[in-house]
Amino acid sequence: MGRLELLSPEGLRVDGRRANELRKVSAKTGVLAQADGSAYLEMGNTKVLAAVYGPRECRMRSQALHDRAIINVEFTQATFSRIERRPTRKFDRKNMEVQLQIRDTFEAVVDTTIYPRSQIDIYLQIMQADGGQVQACINAATLALINAGVAMRDYVVACTVGNVDGTPLLDLNHIEESQGTPEITLATLPRSGNVVLIQMESRLHMDKLEKTLQLANDGCAQIHERLDEVVRKELRDLVHKVGQHSNTVRGVSTA
Amino acid sequence: MSTRIVVPGERLGPARPDQTLQAGTYLRGGNVVATVVGAVGADDQVSVQGKSRKAAIPTVGAQVTGKVKRINSRMAIVSIMMIGAQPVKEDFEGVIRVENVRATERDKVQIPKCFRPGDIVRAEVISLGEAHSYILSTAKNELGVIFAQSAAGATMIPISWEEMQCPVTGAIENRKVCQIENTSQ
Repeated sequence: MGRLELLSPEGLRVDGRRANELRKVSAKTGVLAQADGSAYLEMGNTKVLAAVYGPRECRMRSQALHDRAIINVEFTQATFSRIERRPTRKFDRKNMEVQLQIRDTFEAVVDTTIYPRSQIDIYLQIMQADGGQVQACINAATLALINAGVAMRDYVVACTVGNVDGTPLLDLNHIEESQGTPEITLATLPRSGNVVLIQMESRLHMDKLEKTLQLANDGCAQIHERLDEVVRKELRDLVHKVGQHSNTVRGVSTA
Repeated sequence: MSTRIVVPGERLGPARPDQTLQAGTYLRGGNVVATVVGAVGADDQVSVQGKSRKAAIPTVGAQVTGKVKRINSRMAIVSIMMIGAQPVKEDFEGVIRVENVRATERDKVQIPKCFRPGDIVRAEVISLGEAHSYILSTAKNELGVIFAQSAAGATMIPISWEEMQCPVTGAIENRKVCQIENTSQ
């Protein structure tokens, strides 16, 4: 079988990374003026835009819960995001599954009980797809929710990990994904280490699972560090700007 | 700089038994932990002051301010613009039913003699209502019309709790007037 060599004898992958290396993560928050919170995140060539609206009054009053907020996630991939142009369909089952996964992930973390009868909308748009769309979406949504000032118990960081011939590979790109590599998406709360999402759609031998998950956990820790850096840097800039206007910085209030 | 800035999930300190949880925090394994980005409050009670934007949604008992959109013989439909002192992002719809206009002689109330479209009204939320609107009440002295324009277009002056007078034409119109507490100037 003319299978692509995903890991060379020298231990390098198709894009030149080592097995336990992430792609470059860069992010920016507050990129959309109209949304209550927003973020743009790149993980290598996978690019996501996340917008958060709310907590606001429920669009459908019948859906409102009297004791907590509902979270609504919309996940779309741009027609131009993949190598082959693919028009977006309204009820794409694959997309709906991703929406449910992301919604459940954030319902476990967002402090919904302090926003009764409200709705929080998370819109996720893939601008460019190069593998690991779900993990990128979760990371972008975390940043957007923090930017929106929505109360969360912790960051949610997500990471994918694959396994090629017994060697776990961190953060698969599209080429590695499309070779039928078993791939796990893991989302954790980095401070408590709790797992909020774990998902795999192929088979992996039990003996390889622990090592693979260990690497996924390490990846999550790295991503957490990176996201935290982004949040704190933008916070410092904000405090600096506020400080220029008033000498007594009493709170970080933004218009 | 003296203020400490925290991010969600960051530990603020151990929880004391006498402590009540403040906004922007939660309890995890005996520790108080931040849930939003913000500055830690300076007082003894640990709290996190994040973005100064709470979800402004009417609750039962809240005082709201709104504009009368339209009236009919049974109710006045109000567009709620403020909840307490906080402006809302997008207006909510509220309804003042004829029986909730005033506290006495409820059966003699006629809506056109109490509200006109365009009036600014202060009211209280008495129920969250059904599908579309909140049920409001003005059956208190300190609730009712706080601003109204006469047919001539001038801002009317309240002359009793039931009447307002136009300063231009001297015409007297009926309103359920709000008694505004004395503000020393």
